[in-house]
Order: sequence, then structure tokens, then C-alpha cells
Amino acid sequence: MTHTLHRTGDLESIREDFPMLTHVARGFNDKDAGPRLKQIAQTMTKYTDLHFGDCKVGNKYTMDSGEIMEKLTVGCQVVFKDKESLIACMKELKKKDQGISIVVSGLFDEVFDCCHQAGLKPPLIEFALGVHGNTKKLWPPEILDFVTMCGHGLVSGRLVKKMVQDIKKKKITVEKAAIELAKPCLCGIFNPYRAAKLLRKMVEK
Amino acid sequence: MRIDQEKCKGCRLCADYCPVGAIQYFQDEKNPKKKKARIDEEECVECGVCFRAEVCKPQAIYRQEIGWPQSVRLAFSDPMVEHKQTGVPGRGTEEMKTNEVTGRFRRGSYGMAVELGRPGVAARLKDLEKIAIALAKIGVEFEPKNPVTFLFEDVKTGKLKPEVRKEKVLSAIIEFVVKPDQLRPVFQSLKDISGKIESVFSLDLISFPEEAEKNPALKVVKEMGFPVYPNGKVNLGLGKVLNK
Repeated sequence: MTHTLHRTGDLESIREDFPMLTHVARGFNDKDAGPRLKQIAQTMTKYTDLHFGDCKVGNKYTMDSGEIMEKLTVGCQVVFKDKESLIACMKELKKKDQGISIVVSGLFDEVFDCCHQAGLKPPLIEFALGVHGNTKKLWPPEILDFVTMCGHGLVSGRLVKKMVQDIKKKKITVEKAAIELAKPCLCGIFNPYRAAKLLRKMVEK
Repeated sequence: MRIDQEKCKGCRLCADYCPVGAIQYFQDEKNPKKKKARIDEEECVECGVCFRAEVCKPQAIYRQEIGWPQSVRLAFSDPMVEHKQTGVPGRGTEEMKTNEVTGRFRRGSYGMAVELGRPGVAARLKDLEKIAIALAKIGVEFEPKNPVTFLFEDVKTGKLKPEVRKEKVLSAIIEFVVKPDQLRPVFQSLKDISGKIESVFSLDLISFPEEAEKNPALKVVKEMGFPVYPNGKVNLGLGKVLNK
């Protein structure tokens, strides 16, 4: 379950992309975790409205956020676009001390700085060591930047191309296309703010 | 997944949602002037994206009954489906996400993962077997709770149950622990296998932040020409033992 680890893109773009997840530890803090997860989800969504969901339940673009919160049993996800909101959220999560693990992905320097400002000392990190094998089968980099925003691989590269075509034909706005791409990502880690910026770049090409 | 040919209007809205391009259009047998959508069941990974997209107005897309071994596709492709053996949705385990509580990864060895089929390519499990066999020869310890481990015929050799080899999944993760003296053989083996598989894999390494720069594993990684992304995952350390 390393679905927030392998996001590709240039540094400028990745700098605006911080998925955050919470997950219970089975056998350690999963018993009656629902209310705690709901509290965490409420804190998370207070500081970011870009995306929210859980792969066992659904995401905010396919069902009501309140309903998702009531159904959480294992964890949930959101995504941030800026450090200020992330730091504020980290501070509140630390203060509320729900006892469930929280993980943030992003540029290491940026995430460490946020942790420092929030008074947190991360105990463990995970590195991405690239993609290997028959890499000819990969989507081109400009499409891969969208596809890797859903680590489960549920956002189709074909849909990205279709959205670009539809924007060019003025069938859909950039913002709506970004949301359409966020819908298949059940977990809520696909970043529609970043996607909109990337779509604009592709349309202008 | 299947498409009810009686209901399909051939509108072509569903095909772009399929992450593996398994939805194709064929001439309608009853009306040769029209085309209808059909799912290539050999290529479909059963992720359910086409169904959940709700773009099919006549509701022609449905999930058929799936038996063993095709059910493997469902478990490794649709995150809404829990693995029966582990109870974990998604592909892997809690890995480093809850380590401050579970203490699963300890100093002195290294947590690693090979994420087959990612990003966005999907894979046949025969590719996974090739990698698992290579790793098993080095003597790495496969994570017992990872859903992939339940597919092994023999966990010591990395051989899969023969019937699952041809199954196609969106992704499957081999999680394992490496001892310091196994680092070079593991990375060499992954380098060697890279040219022998049909799909792709993403590679992960778990580390303790205070030793990240001096980390012997990272040193080996760099010496052997593997890239290290500037972005990754950080556990904030907020978990506690709460169950009584």
C-alpha cells in the first residue's frame, strides 16, 4: 500500500502536492476506531477541500463527505496544495492526539520543514527508487504526472487525453476536467488543483 | 466486467475510463451500421472503474460472477475489495504507515517493496513470479501478511500457484525484508530481471530519517545506478497502542 509514494512531475508541480493519509494499526488501535477516524477526517478536511475519501468507501466527488466520514473503519486520505495549510493541519492533529498513524507524502525537504514547524519528529520514511522493467509501456511523462496521482492506477491515461481534447473543443472547463479525473481515485489522493494546472499546460501546447 | 450487448448504445463514453484499454468496439451483429462496446475479458483486470464512472446511461456495464483463479484479478485491481486472507483493501499491507505502533521495521534490516504493474501499466502474475523467484534465491524474507504471499505455491522458492500465473492485475506488491549483506545481490538481481519482464515495477525502500543520508542501503542504491526520488513518504509518528 504505497499508493502515495511514486508521484512524478517537475519540482515546481510536486511542490504543490502533499497527500496525507491516516491508517489504523490492526491489532493495536483498530478497535472501535470509527469515531477517532471521523475526528481526524474532520480536522483534515477543515484545512483542505481538494479531495477526500477512502478506498473502502468512496470519495467526495462520488458521494457525500459526511456519509464517508460515518463509514470510516480503516483510514482515509486528503491532499494539500500548500505548506501553510498542511502545517496548520499537522499542528491540530498533534494537539487532538487521536492516536492513529498519519503519513504525509511530498518533497522530503518540504515535508520535514512542515514537521519541524508543527513540532513533529517523523520516525520513519520511505524512498521511491524509480520505475524499472519494460518502461516502453509507460505513458509519456506528461500523462504519467496525472496517472501517478492515483497510486492504485485507477485514473486512465486515455481519460487524461480525452479531457485535454474536450477542453480544446470547449466541451468541458479545465476545472471540471480536473474533477472528472479525480473521480476514479477512490482514496482521495488525486490532486485536482495540480491536475488543473497540468491540464492548462497541455492545452496550451 | 461485462457489457450487456442488448443495452449498449455504442455511445463510446465508457472506453476512456478503462485504465488498461480493455473496452473495444465491434460491429453490432444485429445492425452492421452500428458499433457496440465489448470488454476483452483476457485484458480486463476487474478494477470496476468503468462501472463506478456511471457514464453508461442504459446501465449496460455489470460485474459477472467471478470464480478462482480469475478472482485474483478482482482482489489485486479493485481497492474496494478486501483480500479475504488479510482483510486489507488495496494491494499491500500497512507497511511503514503504522510502524511507530507495530514496530514491524527495525534498525539493522531494510524494508523493501517491488510494485509490479505500477505506474499505470498492469501486469500478468507470471512477471511477479520471475521477480519473486530471483529474490527467494537470495533468501529475502517475504512479508507473511502481504496478499501476494498467499499466491505462492512455495514461499521459499517464490513459485506461484500455476493457475494464477496468467492472471492480469492492475498491480501486485512483493514486500520483503533485506539483511545488510543481501542488499547488493537484491539490487543486482532486480537490475538483471528488469530486462526480462513484460511489464514494469516501481521500487521502494523504507528508512529511518536520522540515518537517511548515511543509510548503507541508500549508498548501495546510488552506487548501483538506481534513482532516488526527491519526494516520498513520511510517517509523522502520531500512532499509539489503544486496543485494550
